[in-house]
Amino acid sequence: MYILGISCFYHDASACLIKDGVVVAAAQEERFNRDKYSPVFPIQSINYCLQHEGITSYDLDHVTFYEKMYLKFERTIVSHIEGFPFTYKNFLDTMPLWLKDRLVVPLYIKDELTFNKKIWFVKHHLSHAASSYFLSPFNQAAILTVDGVGEYASATYGFAHENKIEIKKEISYPHSLGLLYSIVTAYLGFRVFSGEGKVMALAEFGTPCYIKEFNELIDVREDGSFRINLDYFSFNRGEKMHNKKFIKLLGEERPEDAPIAQRHKDIAASLQKVTEDVVLKMARHAYRETKSPNLCLAGGVFLNVTANSRILNETPFKNVFIQPAAGDAGSAIGSALYLYHSILNNEKRTTMINSALGPHYNLSQIEIILKNKRLKYTKTSTSEELTKKVAQFLADGKVVAWFQGRMEFGPRALGNRSILADPRSPTMKDWLNLTIKHREDFRPFGASILRERVSEFFEFDHDSPYMLYVAHFQKKYQGAFPAITHINGTSRIQTVRREENHRYYELISEFSKLTDVPMLLNTSLNDTEPIVCTPLSAIDLFLKTKIDYLAIEDFIVEK
Amino acid sequence: MDSAIQEQSICQKCVMPEVKPRIWLNEERICNLCVDHANKPPLQPLLESDFIKTLDKHRGKHRYDCLVMCSGGKDSTAALYFMKKRYNLNPLAFMFDHGFETEEAINNVKRAVAKLGVDFVFYKTEHMKEMFKNIVKSKSKAIICHPCSIWYMDLAFDMAEKHDAPIIIAGWTKGQSEKQEVMSKCGCNVHAAEYADMAKETNRFLEEHTEKTGKYRDFPRTMEELLAKSKKKKHKAIVLSPHWFLPYGPEEYVKIIKEEVGWEYTKNSYPSKTTNCNMNFVSAYNAMKFFGYTHYHVEMSKLIREGVITREQALEDLKMQFSDELLNDVLSKIDCTVDDLRK
Repeated sequence: MYILGISCFYHDASACLIKDGVVVAAAQEERFNRDKYSPVFPIQSINYCLQHEGITSYDLDHVTFYEKMYLKFERTIVSHIEGFPFTYKNFLDTMPLWLKDRLVVPLYIKDELTFNKKIWFVKHHLSHAASSYFLSPFNQAAILTVDGVGEYASATYGFAHENKIEIKKEISYPHSLGLLYSIVTAYLGFRVFSGEGKVMALAEFGTPCYIKEFNELIDVREDGSFRINLDYFSFNRGEKMHNKKFIKLLGEERPEDAPIAQRHKDIAASLQKVTEDVVLKMARHAYRETKSPNLCLAGGVFLNVTANSRILNETPFKNVFIQPAAGDAGSAIGSALYLYHSILNNEKRTTMINSALGPHYNLSQIEIILKNKRLKYTKTSTSEELTKKVAQFLADGKVVAWFQGRMEFGPRALGNRSILADPRSPTMKDWLNLTIKHREDFRPFGASILRERVSEFFEFDHDSPYMLYVAHFQKKYQGAFPAITHINGTSRIQTVRREENHRYYELISEFSKLTDVPMLLNTSLNDTEPIVCTPLSAIDLFLKTKIDYLAIEDFIVEK
Repeated sequence: MDSAIQEQSICQKCVMPEVKPRIWLNEERICNLCVDHANKPPLQPLLESDFIKTLDKHRGKHRYDCLVMCSGGKDSTAALYFMKKRYNLNPLAFMFDHGFETEEAINNVKRAVAKLGVDFVFYKTEHMKEMFKNIVKSKSKAIICHPCSIWYMDLAFDMAEKHDAPIIIAGWTKGQSEKQEVMSKCGCNVHAAEYADMAKETNRFLEEHTEKTGKYRDFPRTMEELLAKSKKKKHKAIVLSPHWFLPYGPEEYVKIIKEEVGWEYTKNSYPSKTTNCNMNFVSAYNAMKFFGYTHYHVEMSKLIREGVITREQALEDLKMQFSDELLNDVLSKIDCTVDDLRK
């Protein structure tokens, strides 16, 4: 049975293909159309998913969509009516989008895919919940979903057992932690969708001295439920979501190109602290209510690695699972798996092993490009030769673009489309930020470390295959890895097992043999564009930046 | 025969030779076609879902869902296979033999239609022999393949009308047709720098000679004229190739058609690893003689730019390694000899 899952029209449009309950392909549209966070109907992703499996839309049994559009439209209309006449301009701006795309999703799918069977619409937060639970190794779990907003819900908690997911309680728009984070992100001069991670990084440079002010903005109860104080916001009433009263409370907003002052860092720190406190309370409440040792998290807020780590460390849950595309992209998978398991009642479950669900390219395709571009390259004859050579480059302080196998699904590069470097280098972070990634100097880099040695270096002994947790270094290693150490002495870590990514595991092992450091700096293979998808994009990036080597499948390319 | 172009006069990125004034190399020995290509924004890929949408508009509404132009080569055989197996259509396979098709090519098509269980029209005719002879004897610079392509396309439109097939499927690859610009217009852009001179000579020949010969009086002078003629037909067929929409290259589909329909490479064809007719040797010979390159150089250059083949492979495949004996054998069927080409 083939099910195609689709998520689109807001941000991070994506598609996935499920075959008999197993995710066989998934990709975000931005990787194909090169428009970061692209919201459009993911027609290229869909074509990829079907062609990867060698099928066409005729072979599909079902198509699912990640939310209920009419319910969302109802919420939007009600919100505009409540705010009339101040919402009038926004109403005029957004209605064409609804009429052109969002309200005609069924027609869109039928027309674009010539698909005439039933299309299933799954509630937004149920899609989130299913994306985590049905990919987790658990047979029962508490579930927590938190994001900007779906139809009405902005956060839910529930309980899943076998094939069923029950949402027990939800918090509804406009009360939204995700929206609050995005509003403050915009207020601090960063772009919504791409800026939240920057605010999280910036938070570590500040002190949470604006908690009193944030308590004015959000009223949090002991169970983690909360209410936003609407006096400070102007939802649907203009270009900005915060109002004059908000500025009076926190001061003038920061223009995008203005310097970052200590005040901005402190506001970021306060926002981060409030966010962590809320999700911690939510998680503790979910535990009290469900008594499950397992927790599944989903929704864009759980891309916040610091908050995730506090949940892992400071709640009674023994096991926490987050899938790599915790935001809306992953909901395409969630909606499809929800149909397969909960509605169609199929019991067979498959745990996600890695996020490599995107396109891959064969050696001859790559060699044609290398030859036609007249690049200097060598072909290694074994995987061992490749990993030994690349490990030596890295140990020598070189920066290597690592393009291997299938592209990752989700926002993180996890050893298939990565830029790698030696984490010990004191100059590497600035070098990468300045000459290759072209991004703010305060942003830290993550690390990939062999799973069996993680506790040796970090105060951490869990699986983190999708780089969704941070951890403090063990005392004896503090300061030893400046390229991956954030200002607060932590690092964002990906644990790597051999069965999750064989070649990447071997590479880190080889690096460890040379240096006795079983970890590498790992950042996504891109500059300011979406992560590269094709060999041609990887080669173009390699040629235009100061990356020293490109290891693309069995080939090592040099300048 | 040694018609190999000197390496120093060939573009270092593709395989186009410098043939001024239309094709010239810059200081880095890169041709203007490659420079133009690099300066153009990348084309959005054509999507299979769009192809399927077009197929489904016509599915089941006609006697045949499509007519597939089969040459016995890998690309058209794969196209026939995809139409039947991948898109589950009811195609009509159509092949013609103007007297110069190889037994191997004909057998490839026969095996494929038998294996796939599709209806097949095999059209054998001597209609074009006189025109080929005229081209050779008159020393015209017309490229023999061009009037033949126009005729074949004309025939395909007639057959589509006769057998009620709304879509004509060709096996054109990414190098053989301008994808987005000439969607449904079949064939190459005759105004492009690399084709303009060849097209002009073909047009001149047709203008001068078809009037004189009664049987060719209605022969279209250009592909555009043919398309205009086809638009006036009550039955309007559109022309598409699945290869524009699929990510698979020959490496993938040759394996499939070998296994599924017993397809085989022909022993001798120009360029290497193709299944072109025997008259094509004469056509390529004349093209090299008069223009310094063939339309295969243009097609392979496009494939290099598309990342489908390597330049070195294209140079290898384009080597002209056929003998006078072979040319004489082909030319004897139109009462000519190699001397007619060389005089």
